[in-house]
Amino acid sequence: MSWLLWGARVEAQVTSEPSAVVFPDPAKFAHGLYTEGELGAVAFFGPAGHDVAPGFAVGARVGYDLWSWLAVQAHFLGSTHSITGDSPQAGQLLQTYQAIAEGKLTWRFGQTSIFGEGGAGLERLSTNVLYTLMIERYRIGLTAGGGGGFDYHSLSRHFSVGVRGDFFWLREISDSRDLMATTYLRYTF
Amino acid sequence: MRGAAGLGLLLAPLAIGCVNAPIYFNSPTPILAVTGMPDANNQPPRVENGMSLRFRNPTKQEQQGLDAQTAALGFMVPWIQRANVHIELTFDVTNTDTKDGTFFIGIDGANEYTKYDENIVAMALQAGNNNAPTYIPLCPVTPQIVPAGKTVSGTVREDDFNEGELDLDAIGRWMAPFNAVLINNSQVNPIGLDMVPKNVVLPALTEIDVNFSANAMMTCNYEVRVRDDNDQLLHDSGDTLFSPTPALFQPPAMTATTN
Repeated sequence: MSWLLWGARVEAQVTSEPSAVVFPDPAKFAHGLYTEGELGAVAFFGPAGHDVAPGFAVGARVGYDLWSWLAVQAHFLGSTHSITGDSPQAGQLLQTYQAIAEGKLTWRFGQTSIFGEGGAGLERLSTNVLYTLMIERYRIGLTAGGGGGFDYHSLSRHFSVGVRGDFFWLREISDSRDLMATTYLRYTF
Repeated sequence: MRGAAGLGLLLAPLAIGCVNAPIYFNSPTPILAVTGMPDANNQPPRVENGMSLRFRNPTKQEQQGLDAQTAALGFMVPWIQRANVHIELTFDVTNTDTKDGTFFIGIDGANEYTKYDENIVAMALQAGNNNAPTYIPLCPVTPQIVPAGKTVSGTVREDDFNEGELDLDAIGRWMAPFNAVLINNSQVNPIGLDMVPKNVVLPALTEIDVNFSANAMMTCNYEVRVRDDNDQLLHDSGDTLFSPTPALFQPPAMTATTN
Protein backbone atom coordinates (compact mmCIF):
# COMPACT_ATOMS: atom_id res chain seq x y z
CA MET A 1 0.00 0.00 0.00
CA SER A 2 2.73 2.40 0.93
CA TRP A 3 4.39 2.16 -2.46
CA LEU A 4 1.17 3.49 -3.99
CA LEU A 5 1.31 6.60 -1.77
CA TRP A 6 4.98 7.18 -2.51
CA GLY A 7 4.28 6.97 -6.18
CA ALA A 8 1.57 9.71 -5.94
CA ARG A 9 3.86 12.25 -4.28
CA VAL A 10 4.43 15.47 -6.26
CA GLU A 11 7.69 17.37 -5.80
CA ALA A 12 7.69 21.21 -5.97
CA GLN A 13 10.76 23.33 -6.40
CA VAL A 14 11.47 27.08 -6.21
CA THR A 15 13.36 27.99 -9.32
CA SER A 16 13.78 31.79 -8.81
CA GLU A 17 13.73 34.50 -6.05
CA PRO A 18 10.24 35.89 -5.41
CA SER A 19 9.83 39.55 -6.30
CA ALA A 20 9.89 41.97 -3.36
CA VAL A 21 6.40 42.85 -2.16
CA VAL A 22 5.87 46.60 -1.68
CA PHE A 23 3.34 47.20 1.06
CA PRO A 24 1.41 49.34 0.87
CA ASP A 25 1.75 49.77 -2.84
CA PRO A 26 1.66 53.55 -3.68
CA ALA A 27 0.26 52.65 -7.07
CA LYS A 28 -2.90 51.60 -5.26
CA PHE A 29 -3.32 54.98 -3.58
CA ALA A 30 -6.18 57.00 -4.99
CA HIS A 31 -5.21 59.71 -7.45
CA GLY A 32 -7.16 62.51 -9.02
CA LEU A 33 -9.55 64.90 -7.34
CA TYR A 34 -8.76 65.57 -3.69
CA THR A 35 -9.78 67.86 -0.85
CA GLU A 36 -7.86 68.88 2.22
CA GLY A 37 -8.91 70.49 5.47
CA GLU A 38 -6.26 72.20 7.54
CA LEU A 39 -5.80 73.80 10.94
CA GLY A 40 -2.87 75.82 12.15
CA ALA A 41 -1.54 79.30 12.64
CA VAL A 42 -0.59 82.33 10.61
CA ALA A 43 2.07 84.81 11.68
CA PHE A 44 2.90 88.12 10.00
CA PHE A 45 6.33 89.50 9.31
CA GLY A 46 7.45 92.85 8.04
CA PRO A 47 5.40 96.01 8.67
CA ALA A 48 2.32 94.09 9.76
CA GLY A 49 4.39 91.92 12.08
CA HIS A 50 4.72 94.79 14.55
CA ASP A 51 0.99 95.32 14.90
CA VAL A 52 -0.70 91.99 14.15
CA ALA A 53 -0.37 89.05 16.52
CA PRO A 54 -0.13 85.48 15.21
CA GLY A 55 -3.50 83.85 14.97
CA PHE A 56 -5.48 80.67 14.52
CA ALA A 57 -6.06 79.55 10.95
CA VAL A 58 -8.47 77.20 9.22
CA GLY A 59 -8.35 76.37 5.56
CA ALA A 60 -9.18 74.02 2.75
CA ARG A 61 -7.74 72.91 -0.55
CA VAL A 62 -9.35 71.40 -3.61
CA GLY A 63 -6.96 69.94 -6.10
CA TYR A 64 -6.34 67.48 -8.87
CA ASP A 65 -3.41 65.13 -9.41
CA LEU A 66 -2.35 65.52 -13.02
CA TRP A 67 0.34 62.91 -12.46
CA SER A 68 1.61 61.21 -9.36
CA TRP A 69 4.18 63.98 -8.99
CA LEU A 70 2.28 67.06 -10.13
CA ALA A 71 -0.98 68.56 -8.97
CA VAL A 72 -2.85 71.82 -9.24
CA GLN A 73 -4.95 73.08 -6.35
CA ALA A 74 -7.03 75.96 -5.07
CA HIS A 75 -6.28 77.02 -1.53
CA PHE A 76 -8.57 78.95 0.81
CA LEU A 77 -7.36 80.01 4.24
CA GLY A 78 -8.85 82.22 6.90
CA SER A 79 -7.14 83.33 10.06
CA THR A 80 -8.04 85.55 12.96
CA HIS A 81 -5.67 87.95 14.71
CA SER A 82 -5.62 90.66 17.29
CA ILE A 83 -3.96 94.02 16.95
CA THR A 84 -1.01 94.53 19.25
CA GLY A 85 1.12 97.52 20.13
CA ASP A 86 0.30 100.72 21.98
CA SER A 87 -2.22 102.25 19.59
CA PRO A 88 -5.90 102.68 20.45
CA GLN A 89 -6.57 99.88 17.99
CA ALA A 90 -4.73 97.38 20.20
CA GLY A 91 -6.93 94.43 21.06
CA GLN A 92 -9.20 94.78 18.04
CA LEU A 93 -9.78 91.62 16.06
CA LEU A 94 -8.92 91.18 12.42
CA GLN A 95 -9.58 88.30 10.05
CA THR A 96 -7.58 87.60 6.94
CA TYR A 97 -8.76 85.52 4.01
CA GLN A 98 -6.50 84.19 1.30
CA ALA A 99 -7.46 82.45 -1.93
CA ILE A 100 -4.53 81.10 -3.90
CA ALA A 101 -4.09 79.03 -7.06
CA GLU A 102 -1.16 76.68 -6.56
CA GLY A 103 0.96 74.09 -8.25
CA LYS A 104 2.37 71.20 -6.24
CA LEU A 105 5.30 68.85 -6.83
CA THR A 106 5.48 65.61 -4.87
CA TRP A 107 8.29 63.10 -4.27
CA ARG A 108 6.91 59.88 -2.83
CA PHE A 109 8.82 57.34 -0.74
CA GLY A 110 6.37 54.55 -0.09
CA GLN A 111 3.82 55.73 2.43
CA THR A 112 5.53 59.05 2.93
CA SER A 113 6.21 61.92 0.62
CA ILE A 114 7.59 65.41 0.65
CA PHE A 115 6.21 68.16 -1.47
CA GLY A 116 6.81 71.70 -2.58
CA GLU A 117 4.11 74.10 -3.69
CA GLY A 118 3.64 77.67 -4.72
CA GLY A 119 1.25 80.05 -6.36
CA ALA A 120 -0.44 83.42 -6.37
CA GLY A 121 -3.82 84.79 -5.49
CA LEU A 122 -5.71 87.34 -3.45
CA GLU A 123 -5.81 88.23 0.21
CA ARG A 124 -8.59 90.15 1.89
CA LEU A 125 -8.83 91.74 5.32
CA SER A 126 -12.10 91.81 7.23
CA THR A 127 -11.70 95.41 8.36
CA ASN A 128 -9.75 98.56 7.59
CA VAL A 129 -7.98 98.55 10.94
CA LEU A 130 -4.57 98.17 9.29
CA TYR A 131 -5.46 101.13 7.08
CA THR A 132 -5.91 103.28 10.18
CA LEU A 133 -2.47 102.10 11.28
CA MET A 134 -1.14 103.15 7.86
CA ILE A 135 -0.05 99.62 7.00
CA GLU A 136 -2.72 98.58 4.56
CA ARG A 137 -3.37 100.28 1.23
CA TYR A 138 -6.38 98.27 0.09
CA ARG A 139 -8.39 95.61 1.82
CA ILE A 140 -7.94 93.29 -1.17
CA GLY A 141 -4.51 92.67 -2.58
CA LEU A 142 -2.17 90.37 -4.42
CA THR A 143 -0.35 87.61 -2.61
CA ALA A 144 2.25 85.15 -3.86
CA GLY A 145 4.60 82.63 -2.36
CA GLY A 146 5.13 79.00 -1.62
CA GLY A 147 6.38 76.38 0.75
CA GLY A 148 6.43 72.68 1.35
CA GLY A 149 5.60 69.89 3.70
CA PHE A 150 5.54 66.27 4.65
CA ASP A 151 2.74 63.83 3.92
CA TYR A 152 2.00 60.42 5.43
CA HIS A 153 -0.46 58.19 3.62
CA SER A 154 -2.63 55.89 5.69
CA LEU A 155 -3.31 52.28 4.72
CA SER A 156 -6.63 53.46 3.37
CA ARG A 157 -6.25 54.33 -0.28
CA HIS A 158 -8.05 57.66 0.28
CA PHE A 159 -6.66 59.33 3.39
CA SER A 160 -3.38 60.96 4.23
CA VAL A 161 -2.23 63.48 6.82
CA GLY A 162 0.61 65.93 6.86
CA VAL A 163 2.15 69.17 7.94
CA ARG A 164 3.12 72.11 5.79
CA GLY A 165 4.53 75.60 5.94
CA ASP A 166 4.04 78.34 3.39
CA PHE A 167 5.48 81.82 3.21
CA PHE A 168 3.57 84.47 1.28
CA TRP A 169 4.15 88.05 0.24
CA LEU A 170 1.25 90.47 0.76
CA ARG A 171 1.58 93.38 -1.59
CA GLU A 172 -1.17 95.66 -0.26
CA ILE A 173 -0.20 95.23 3.37
CA SER A 174 2.95 97.27 2.83
CA ASP A 175 4.78 94.27 1.39
CA SER A 176 4.41 92.31 4.61
CA ARG A 177 4.79 88.55 4.61
CA ASP A 178 2.87 85.83 6.37
CA LEU A 179 3.88 82.34 7.42
CA MET A 180 1.20 79.67 7.43
CA ALA A 181 1.96 76.57 9.44
CA THR A 182 -0.79 73.99 9.32
CA THR A 183 -1.57 70.34 9.71
CA TYR A 184 -4.03 68.79 7.33
CA LEU A 185 -6.16 65.79 6.51
CA ARG A 186 -6.44 64.89 2.86
CA TYR A 187 -9.07 62.82 1.11
CA THR A 188 -8.50 61.70 -2.44
CA PHE A 189 -11.60 60.54 -4.28
CA MET B 1 -20.61 64.61 -1.54
CA ARG B 2 -18.88 64.06 1.79
CA GLY B 3 -15.96 66.10 0.55
CA ALA B 4 -18.20 68.99 -0.40
CA ALA B 5 -19.90 68.86 2.97
CA GLY B 6 -16.53 68.86 4.68
CA LEU B 7 -15.42 71.80 2.60
CA GLY B 8 -18.55 73.71 3.54
CA LEU B 9 -17.94 72.95 7.19
CA LEU B 10 -14.42 74.25 6.91
CA LEU B 11 -15.43 77.45 5.17
CA ALA B 12 -18.28 78.20 7.56
CA PRO B 13 -16.00 80.01 10.05
CA LEU B 14 -14.83 82.22 7.22
CA ALA B 15 -18.39 83.16 6.38
CA ILE B 16 -19.07 83.90 10.04
CA GLY B 17 -15.92 85.99 10.15
CA CYS B 18 -17.18 88.13 7.28
CA VAL B 19 -20.12 89.20 9.42
CA ASN B 20 -17.79 90.96 11.84
CA ALA B 21 -16.60 93.75 9.60
CA PRO B 22 -16.41 97.00 11.54
CA ILE B 23 -15.02 100.16 10.02
CA TYR B 24 -12.39 102.13 11.92
CA PHE B 25 -11.79 105.87 11.91
CA ASN B 26 -8.73 107.56 13.29
CA SER B 27 -9.06 110.58 15.50
CA PRO B 28 -8.50 113.88 13.73
CA THR B 29 -4.99 115.28 13.75
CA PRO B 30 -3.39 116.84 15.62
CA ILE B 31 -4.31 114.55 18.49
CA LEU B 32 -5.75 116.02 21.66
CA ALA B 33 -3.03 117.46 23.89
CA VAL B 34 -3.07 119.63 27.00
CA THR B 35 -0.27 121.27 28.94
CA GLY B 36 -1.84 120.72 32.33
CA MET B 37 -1.57 124.42 33.20
CA PRO B 38 -4.83 125.68 34.74
CA ASP B 39 -6.80 128.29 32.86
CA ALA B 40 -7.93 131.73 34.06
CA ASN B 41 -10.67 130.10 36.16
CA ASN B 42 -8.15 127.77 37.74
CA GLN B 43 -9.63 124.87 35.83
CA PRO B 44 -7.65 122.21 34.01
CA PRO B 45 -7.23 123.04 30.33
CA ARG B 46 -9.75 121.52 27.95
CA VAL B 47 -9.46 120.66 24.30
CA GLU B 48 -11.98 119.15 21.94
CA ASN B 49 -12.12 117.58 18.53
CA GLY B 50 -14.47 115.28 16.75
CA MET B 51 -15.58 113.64 13.59
CA SER B 52 -18.68 113.33 11.50
CA LEU B 53 -19.56 109.86 10.32
CA ARG B 54 -20.38 110.04 6.63
CA PHE B 55 -23.47 108.09 5.70
CA ARG B 56 -25.20 107.73 2.37
CA ASN B 57 -28.70 108.95 1.61
CA PRO B 58 -31.44 106.32 1.61
CA THR B 59 -32.43 104.81 -1.69
CA LYS B 60 -35.90 105.52 -2.97
CA GLN B 61 -37.09 102.17 -1.68
CA GLU B 62 -35.49 102.73 1.71
CA GLN B 63 -37.04 106.20 1.95
CA GLN B 64 -40.45 104.75 1.18
CA GLY B 65 -39.93 102.25 3.97
CA LEU B 66 -38.99 105.02 6.40
CA ASP B 67 -42.01 107.07 5.36
CA ALA B 68 -44.33 104.13 5.83
CA GLN B 69 -42.84 103.39 9.25
CA THR B 70 -43.15 107.06 10.22
CA ALA B 71 -46.79 107.10 9.19
CA ALA B 72 -47.50 103.91 11.10
CA LEU B 73 -45.77 105.00 14.31
CA GLY B 74 -46.84 108.61 14.28
CA PHE B 75 -43.36 110.05 14.84
CA MET B 76 -40.25 110.49 12.77
CA VAL B 77 -38.23 107.39 12.10
CA PRO B 78 -34.54 108.21 11.70
CA TRP B 79 -32.50 107.01 8.75
CA ILE B 80 -29.44 106.30 10.88
CA GLN B 81 -30.77 104.10 13.64
CA ARG B 82 -29.14 102.95 16.85
CA ALA B 83 -30.24 99.40 16.10
CA ASN B 84 -28.18 99.35 12.91
CA VAL B 85 -25.16 101.50 13.64
CA HIS B 86 -23.03 100.46 16.61
CA ILE B 87 -20.28 102.77 17.80
CA GLU B 88 -17.32 102.11 20.05
CA LEU B 89 -14.41 104.37 20.91
CA THR B 90 -11.04 103.29 22.25
CA PHE B 91 -8.47 105.71 23.55
CA ASP B 92 -4.91 105.94 24.82
CA VAL B 93 -3.94 108.70 27.21
CA THR B 94 -0.24 109.31 27.72
CA ASN B 95 1.13 111.38 30.55
CA THR B 96 4.17 113.15 29.13
CA ASP B 97 4.67 115.16 32.31
CA THR B 98 7.10 114.54 35.15
CA LYS B 99 4.27 114.32 37.67
CA ASP B 100 1.22 112.12 37.99
CA GLY B 101 -2.01 113.58 36.71
CA THR B 102 -5.70 112.94 36.27
CA PHE B 103 -7.51 113.12 32.96
CA PHE B 104 -11.16 113.60 32.10
CA ILE B 105 -12.85 112.54 28.88
CA GLY B 106 -16.39 113.40 27.92
CA ILE B 107 -18.01 112.38 24.68
CA ASP B 108 -20.68 114.46 23.01
CA GLY B 109 -22.11 114.32 19.55
CA ALA B 110 -25.10 114.67 17.35
CA ASN B 111 -27.75 112.53 15.81
CA GLU B 112 -29.68 113.60 12.76
CA TYR B 113 -32.04 115.72 14.90
CA THR B 114 -30.03 117.12 17.80
CA LYS B 115 -26.47 118.12 18.60
CA TYR B 116 -25.26 118.14 22.17
CA ASP B 117 -22.22 120.09 23.34
CA GLU B 118 -21.31 119.88 27.02
CA ASN B 119 -19.35 123.12 26.77
CA ILE B 120 -22.43 125.03 25.65
CA VAL B 121 -24.44 123.44 28.40
CA ALA B 122 -21.76 124.22 30.99
CA MET B 123 -21.75 127.85 29.91
CA ALA B 124 -25.50 128.02 30.26
CA LEU B 125 -25.36 126.41 33.68
CA GLN B 126 -22.65 128.81 34.75
CA ALA B 127 -24.43 131.93 33.56
CA GLY B 128 -25.21 134.24 36.43
CA ASN B 129 -23.01 132.62 39.01
CA ASN B 130 -19.35 132.23 39.79
CA ASN B 131 -19.38 128.50 40.22
CA ALA B 132 -16.87 126.34 38.44
CA PRO B 133 -18.33 125.05 35.18
CA THR B 134 -20.10 121.73 35.38
CA TYR B 135 -19.59 119.48 32.39
CA ILE B 136 -22.20 116.81 31.74
CA PRO B 137 -21.21 114.76 28.70
CA LEU B 138 -23.41 112.41 26.74
CA CYS B 139 -21.04 109.54 27.44
CA PRO B 140 -18.84 110.14 30.46
CA VAL B 141 -15.54 108.36 31.06
CA THR B 142 -14.45 107.76 34.62
CA PRO B 143 -11.50 110.04 35.42
CA GLN B 144 -8.26 108.18 35.91
CA ILE B 145 -4.87 108.93 37.37
CA VAL B 146 -1.97 108.40 34.98
CA PRO B 147 1.51 108.09 36.47
CA ALA B 148 4.17 110.25 34.92
CA GLY B 149 5.46 108.84 31.66
CA LYS B 150 2.80 106.12 31.48
CA THR B 151 -0.05 105.37 29.09
CA VAL B 152 -3.48 104.07 29.97
CA SER B 153 -6.04 102.72 27.55
CA GLY B 154 -9.78 102.58 27.73
CA THR B 155 -12.89 101.77 25.78
CA VAL B 156 -16.21 103.52 25.56
CA ARG B 157 -18.30 100.55 24.67
CA GLU B 158 -21.27 100.18 22.41
CA ASP B 159 -23.64 100.02 25.36
CA ASP B 160 -22.21 103.30 26.67
CA PHE B 161 -23.00 104.87 23.32
CA ASN B 162 -26.43 103.21 23.38
CA GLU B 163 -27.16 105.02 26.62
CA GLY B 164 -25.90 108.33 25.28
CA GLU B 165 -27.95 107.94 22.11
CA LEU B 166 -31.10 107.27 24.13
CA ASP B 167 -30.42 110.32 26.30
CA LEU B 168 -29.73 112.56 23.32
CA ASP B 169 -32.94 111.57 21.61
CA ALA B 170 -34.86 111.97 24.86
CA ILE B 171 -33.67 115.55 25.39
CA GLY B 172 -33.82 116.44 21.72
CA ARG B 173 -37.19 115.12 20.65
CA TRP B 174 -39.04 114.15 23.80
CA MET B 175 -38.43 117.08 26.13
CA ALA B 176 -36.66 115.07 28.78
CA PRO B 177 -34.83 117.05 31.50
CA PHE B 178 -31.29 116.84 30.19
CA ASN B 179 -29.44 116.68 33.50
CA ALA B 180 -31.71 113.95 34.84
CA VAL B 181 -31.33 111.66 31.87
CA LEU B 182 -27.64 112.31 31.39
CA ILE B 183 -26.66 111.76 34.99
CA ASN B 184 -28.79 108.67 35.49
CA ASN B 185 -28.30 105.36 33.77
CA SER B 186 -31.64 104.59 32.16
CA GLN B 187 -31.36 100.92 33.04
CA VAL B 188 -30.97 101.77 36.71
CA ASN B 189 -33.13 104.85 36.96
CA PRO B 190 -35.19 105.83 33.91
CA ILE B 191 -36.07 109.19 35.40
CA GLY B 192 -36.94 111.77 32.79
CA LEU B 193 -37.74 109.28 30.06
CA ASP B 194 -41.50 109.31 30.63
CA MET B 195 -42.23 111.10 27.37
CA VAL B 196 -40.20 108.75 25.22
CA PRO B 197 -42.55 106.35 23.42
CA LYS B 198 -42.01 102.70 24.20
CA ASN B 199 -41.78 101.90 20.49
CA VAL B 200 -39.41 104.74 19.67
CA VAL B 201 -36.87 104.11 16.94
CA LEU B 202 -33.73 105.68 18.30
CA PRO B 203 -31.29 107.55 16.09
CA ALA B 204 -27.60 106.75 16.25
CA LEU B 205 -24.88 109.35 16.56
CA THR B 206 -23.69 110.75 13.27
CA GLU B 207 -21.14 113.01 14.90
CA ILE B 208 -18.78 112.23 17.77
CA ASP B 209 -17.01 114.93 19.74
CA VAL B 210 -14.35 114.17 22.34
CA ASN B 211 -13.55 116.59 25.17
CA PHE B 212 -10.27 116.03 26.91
CA SER B 213 -9.00 117.65 30.05
CA ALA B 214 -6.07 116.90 32.36
CA ASN B 215 -4.15 118.51 35.17
CA ALA B 216 -0.80 117.39 33.78
CA MET B 217 0.77 117.43 30.33
CA MET B 218 -1.03 114.65 28.47
CA THR B 219 -2.08 113.53 25.04
CA CYS B 220 -5.16 111.59 24.03
CA ASN B 221 -5.29 109.48 20.89
CA TYR B 222 -8.45 107.63 20.00
CA GLU B 223 -10.15 105.71 17.25
CA VAL B 224 -13.80 105.08 16.54
CA ARG B 225 -15.14 101.72 15.48
CA VAL B 226 -18.46 101.51 13.68
CA ARG B 227 -20.39 98.35 12.97
CA ASP B 228 -22.65 99.25 10.10
CA ASP B 229 -25.24 96.49 9.83
CA ASN B 230 -27.07 97.86 6.80
CA ASP B 231 -24.11 99.24 4.88
CA GLN B 232 -25.18 102.85 5.37
CA LEU B 233 -21.71 104.37 5.60
CA LEU B 234 -20.79 106.24 2.45
CA HIS B 235 -18.42 104.37 0.17
CA ASP B 236 -16.63 105.41 -2.97
CA SER B 237 -19.68 104.74 -5.06
CA GLY B 238 -22.43 106.71 -6.71
CA ASP B 239 -24.26 107.25 -3.42
CA THR B 240 -24.82 110.77 -2.19
CA LEU B 241 -23.86 112.06 1.23
CA PHE B 242 -26.50 112.16 3.93
CA SER B 243 -26.28 115.68 5.37
CA PRO B 244 -28.50 116.14 8.39
CA THR B 245 -28.72 119.54 10.09
CA PRO B 246 -29.22 118.78 13.77
CA ALA B 247 -30.36 121.58 16.05
CA LEU B 248 -27.95 122.51 18.80
CA PHE B 249 -29.42 121.64 22.16
CA GLN B 250 -29.85 124.71 24.34
CA PRO B 251 -30.60 124.02 27.99
CA PRO B 252 -33.41 125.97 29.60
CA ALA B 253 -32.21 129.18 31.24
CA MET B 254 -30.98 128.53 34.71
CA THR B 255 -31.98 130.67 37.65
CA ALA B 256 -29.09 132.77 38.88
CA THR B 257 -27.78 131.79 42.24
CA THR B 258 -25.41 133.54 44.54
CA ASN B 259 -22.73 131.81 46.51
